[in-house]
Amino acid sequence: MNLLTLFLSALLINNVILSKFIGMCPFLGVSTKLSSAIGMGLAVIFVIFGASCLSWALYYYVLVPLGLEYMKLICFILLIAAFVQFVEMFVKKNSPSLYKSLGIYLPLITTNCAVLYVALDNITQGYNFIETVVNSIAVPAGFMLVLLIFATIRERLASADVPDAWKGNPIAFVVAAIMAIAFSAFAGLV
Amino acid sequence: MRVLFGILIAAALLGVNAWLYIANKNTPVPEGCENLKPDCSGCGITDCAIRKKEEE
Repeated sequence: MNLLTLFLSALLINNVILSKFIGMCPFLGVSTKLSSAIGMGLAVIFVIFGASCLSWALYYYVLVPLGLEYMKLICFILLIAAFVQFVEMFVKKNSPSLYKSLGIYLPLITTNCAVLYVALDNITQGYNFIETVVNSIAVPAGFMLVLLIFATIRERLASADVPDAWKGNPIAFVVAAIMAIAFSAFAGLV
Repeated sequence: MRVLFGILIAAALLGVNAWLYIANKNTPVPEGCENLKPDCSGCGITDCAIRKKEEE
């Protein structure tokens, strides 16, 4: 598959939030402030990229040769949890400034289903390593893009004159639905 | 034999997980980051461990 097509497809057309409805929890939870959305988005990109590459290597170099493909789900869950712990420890030791901006969000990402989705999707689609790398950057980039757009809209909504019954999550869902319709127009792009 | 390998791999991953969890907990937080406070007002995830710690 053409790498550019794969990138655009994962970023816009098959957007993980608006097309697959995966990662809805942080999408609604961490989108009320732009600053939180930026931190969460960057941390998600970093973790999904690392965890997906490691999962791919574990699957093709350990599980496939041993005939243990059916164990990929449990192995990937454990690998992602271990990777997040390692990243947090590494950042704590080596980069205080990075820890300041991302540290708080790292433990939250272990429970983000988008991380597991990307790791499993790379295997299901039969991607090679280069395609895995491209997909593992494009999917979280799409996640961050939508999260940032949504956060800016919600910041404006906070000061908008919304009827009481629509305040909070109801209006957020309506905005998300309109965004999903808008993003569906990208389907003709590739 | 295959089942044994499966159990060994799962046990190894669990062990690595536990070891990293303990090592991470014992790693001191860098200077200036001791009182980092999450912006819980900007987050709607209510069952998060960080929020619970903040509320305590």
